[in-house]
Amino acid sequence: MGNYRFHTPDGVIDILPQDASVKRKIETDIRELFSGYGYSEVETPGIEYYDVYSSGDYVSAEDMYKMTDADGRIIALRFDGTIPVARLSATLLKDEKPPLRLSYIENMYRFKKAGGGKLREFSQAGVELLGLQNSEADAEVIALGIQSVLTTGITDLQVSIGQVEFFKGLADEWGLSTEEELELSTAIDQKDIVRIEKTAERLGLSEDAKEILDMISNKFGTYDVLDAFENKVNNARSKAALKNLREILQVLEDYELIQYVSVDLGMLRSLDYYTGMIFKGFTYEIGFPILSGGRYDKVISNFGRDLEAVGFSIGINLCLTALRRQDKLPEFVEVDAIVGYKEGEGMRKAAFATAKELRAMGNKVIVDTEHRTEEELDAYAEEHGIDQVVFIEEEDEEEDS
Amino acid sequence: MITIALSKGRLAEKALDLLEAAGYDVSAGREESRKLILEDEKTGLRFIMAKPADVPTYVEYGAADLGVVGKDTLLEEGRNLYEVIDLGFGACRMCVCGPVSLKGKLDQIPNKRVASKYPNITRAYFEGTKKESVEIIKLNGSVELAPLIGLAEVIVDIVESGRTLKENGLDVLETVADISARVVVNRVSMKMKESEIVPMIDALRKQVAIKNAQKKEEK
Repeated sequence: MGNYRFHTPDGVIDILPQDASVKRKIETDIRELFSGYGYSEVETPGIEYYDVYSSGDYVSAEDMYKMTDADGRIIALRFDGTIPVARLSATLLKDEKPPLRLSYIENMYRFKKAGGGKLREFSQAGVELLGLQNSEADAEVIALGIQSVLTTGITDLQVSIGQVEFFKGLADEWGLSTEEELELSTAIDQKDIVRIEKTAERLGLSEDAKEILDMISNKFGTYDVLDAFENKVNNARSKAALKNLREILQVLEDYELIQYVSVDLGMLRSLDYYTGMIFKGFTYEIGFPILSGGRYDKVISNFGRDLEAVGFSIGINLCLTALRRQDKLPEFVEVDAIVGYKEGEGMRKAAFATAKELRAMGNKVIVDTEHRTEEELDAYAEEHGIDQVVFIEEEDEEEDS
Repeated sequence: MITIALSKGRLAEKALDLLEAAGYDVSAGREESRKLILEDEKTGLRFIMAKPADVPTYVEYGAADLGVVGKDTLLEEGRNLYEVIDLGFGACRMCVCGPVSLKGKLDQIPNKRVASKYPNITRAYFEGTKKESVEIIKLNGSVELAPLIGLAEVIVDIVESGRTLKENGLDVLETVADISARVVVNRVSMKMKESEIVPMIDALRKQVAIKNAQKKEEK
């Protein structure tokens, strides 16, 4: 048997001072961003009843950390931010008039699923905009997503926007069964051209349909993509999806964020969860999306309230890793100044007063606790890379108290 | 710089041939050495030589942008990747095999023991496709031994010519999947390095189409 005294469990890590300070700064900046847009932060419990997550069939049992409570009921560690907020908005907040703008910054716990890269405990910040169903709301959430990434210091950002209704409309038009729809959408999502062609062949799709499938896999861009599809599809559902995307792009232009986005109608993950636009954000040096969001109008109805929902989450740990690999982590200084003092009446008090003044100017200051002489203090500062040394030899006469 | 993960061996050679035919200078990749990373600043290509089973992992994490790997490995590893081209070579089948006497009677054996190098493919096939619970016994090679010596009733393994099977009194009972070499792409690289990767995929697709057309003519 192993002795794990010195180890952390698989998928969880210690975060050391430099990373912890950057992480906190990112979280603080994002919190300010969210609140600046009128999103109120909520805290949901670290553990939920398993039923909260299993009710909608969106999360598989294998991916959750589960335990039983003292009464034998199954509980799960917080898996994501959206579902607890959905529960909250249909229970404690059920009398709040929509729209609701809520946000969270919490640690999530997942087996296997790649929400945090490959970490099993990771921090996510996110927003939920509830009770609105229009392109402005969709675009607001995308805009906040983009800005939250930029806030971290990452500048190279690519956001792909899709719309699951576009494909669902086609599946309707082509008369696909649920299984066939899933099969085809999975192939499209994996850009598996061979499987798309084979499936299309087997389902007996028309040449026009095959051409559309080919376009879905190969066309990326903005308005030009929408124009190209506009002339190809005939069903109302797909057309409405294209209109939604066009409006989103127009709103994002006014946000002056259009340069970060492109349309990818082949993003077709979790078709039973998403009901409209979906988006993912990518940057260099990290193999997983750092940003993920979309519209999921049916989630809250699992908790008995009909409330449309659109939201996103940003992976804070992933951003941190990306910043490190892109060499963009801000310089980290543990201590800016050290204050020492000569033995004698009132000296220590003067040292504390000086340290307080320095701190008020934003410095990180320690006061010597080992009675070093001035020379020893200089040597100590040199060794520890502390820029500023103050040695108090006489009482500060200007002091008021 | 585009990083391409190749499966050491025959598959790597064929992949390099195809890239060359598509107009890429792959001399770096052909360098005879024990180096694991073969990089060419001029061409902007970097090749890493990995164990086949590890190629999907390198690509999923983004350590490599692109990879060439057998469909068997992809099915077994179940990674989250774009699977963009079927290269056509390295073709074979993943099959359920067993004693010839079991032909057509596979479904009649209750509580089967299935030996395989591919436990995930085996589980997906029996539990997912056939809706049947089986005991899976993971082996690392010479899987054909298992039914002969009574370790398992049947095996799930790759079949190329079927000769080893025949010589041991075994035969293919069911086909699980057709296998061939695939090009996989990291989901982020596809977006962030679109201007380099998309043309490469297009060029490779063209070569594959030419090759397939030639094959048809030969037949």
